[in-house]
Amino acid sequence: MSLRIAAQAVFRREITLFARRKSDWANPLMFFLIVTSIFPFAVGSESERLRLIGIGVLFVGALLAAMLALPRLFDEDAKDGSLEHLLTSPEPLAVLILARVAAISLALALPLALATPAFALFYALPSEVAGILALTVVLAVPTLILIGAIASALLVAARGGAILTAVLVLPLTIPTLIFGAGAALKVLSGESPAAELALQVAYFLFALALCPLAAAAALRISTD
Amino acid sequence: MPRTEQQSNDRFNGKWFWRYASPAAFYPVAGTIEKLCWFLAISLTIIGLYIGFFRAPTDATQGEVYRVIYIHVPAAWMAMVIYLAMAFWCAIGLAFGTRLSFMMSHALAPTGAIMAAISLWTGALWGRPTWGTYWVWDARLTSTLILFFLYVGYIALAAAFDDKKKGDRASALIALVGAVNVPIIYFSVQWWNTLHQGASVRPGGSSMATIMLTAMMIMAFAFWAYCIAVAMNRLRTQIIERERSAAWIQSSVRK
Amino acid sequence: MIWESWSAFWSMGGRGFFVWGSYGALLIAVIAELIALKRARNRALASAEDSHDA
Repeated sequence: MSLRIAAQAVFRREITLFARRKSDWANPLMFFLIVTSIFPFAVGSESERLRLIGIGVLFVGALLAAMLALPRLFDEDAKDGSLEHLLTSPEPLAVLILARVAAISLALALPLALATPAFALFYALPSEVAGILALTVVLAVPTLILIGAIASALLVAARGGAILTAVLVLPLTIPTLIFGAGAALKVLSGESPAAELALQVAYFLFALALCPLAAAAALRISTD
Repeated sequence: MPRTEQQSNDRFNGKWFWRYASPAAFYPVAGTIEKLCWFLAISLTIIGLYIGFFRAPTDATQGEVYRVIYIHVPAAWMAMVIYLAMAFWCAIGLAFGTRLSFMMSHALAPTGAIMAAISLWTGALWGRPTWGTYWVWDARLTSTLILFFLYVGYIALAAAFDDKKKGDRASALIALVGAVNVPIIYFSVQWWNTLHQGASVRPGGSSMATIMLTAMMIMAFAFWAYCIAVAMNRLRTQIIERERSAAWIQSSVRK
Repeated sequence: MIWESWSAFWSMGGRGFFVWGSYGALLIAVIAELIALKRARNRALASAEDSHDA
């Protein structure tokens, strides 16, 4: 019971912080908008060409935007000392990390996923493709945050955070990128995306099961 | 809490191999292994390249360019094997708190990255005349590229810590996370590959003559020996660096 | 000897660039790695001397 209360408290704290500091979710959204809107200048404005690259640009753009939130996971708390509370809590650290990841994923995945269909208009994508893209972004962002939790927990005690986070995290997001964008490509060519979606869900569940444990171990290592 | 080496030693007392988990005890052993492996690496390379270039005939379909595989295939194998070895030592290090295991992993990583890079580079130069392109997004090439990224991430993370002990365990954890993901990444890349390109061209798919295969296997053993020799050298350097204030290092430095 | 001449050997049936480009890259990588090893060893030995003096 008390574990549930503790996890809820962590979750609620994060959501309140997000509600108070709008830049935490508004900045990634802005980044997403800008990244997706500069690509046409590089490749040309013909609808045919844009439709070909649109899925990839939107998906990668959403992932990169979500990357921006990773320092929020532990860095700030390490600076102001509130990380100690998390670490000294009698509750299992992995569960508390999961609660925090859930809050950040929710506060980030929802705006990004809602924006995806709107930005898909830039790329002349049909509405059913835009819909499935929003769904796969909803799955991909938590996967990235889960993997990113390990990296940012390790980097609490290290120098040179942001670029190193990208080097560590992005290669591990390739499966979700392949399956997520693959599902949208299937819909674009009029086929069923069921297999890709199932695999993307599987990778998400895999990350969900292992990443909080690994992130807890990582946090113990770096604050040892 | 990590066990200290002393505790670990007590725990595993009576096992002869545990003695060699101590850097001081392993230092001379590493030197012997290094010398032996240098000898093997050099002699096997001479034999392998002699057979490969002066005994093995021209390939019927690929012409002379197939001779790149004598180094391409061994480099690709070593890139994979070294990552597995690294992950193994990282797991041992995290489980038992042995410093030497972490050092072993650090000693292997740069060579693994070089092997991955060599395998990509030679693969591109082999692919151009054979497939007509330097690069295809084939499952093997793509996986090797990602493997290279994993090596780079491991090395960069280990270097980002001022506290060496923390760096050891942090980079060990990321190596294990990578090792768990490698099969998944390989599977997903293969899935993606068949989705976009249909059946992919496979390097070395055609059957090879025995003499070519012999030369390649000898070169593979030469690569093994080279990698072990280099790793042992790097390991000894790390032992000197980390134990520099210990009496036994001081006495051997001053000799 | 399967080669008619040394120039035939170096040209590798017109594929010399690809074959020697591969072997050359390996050679450069190995030499670079050996130099790096040597320098790291010297640095470590120097720091060991220092820590004795200190």
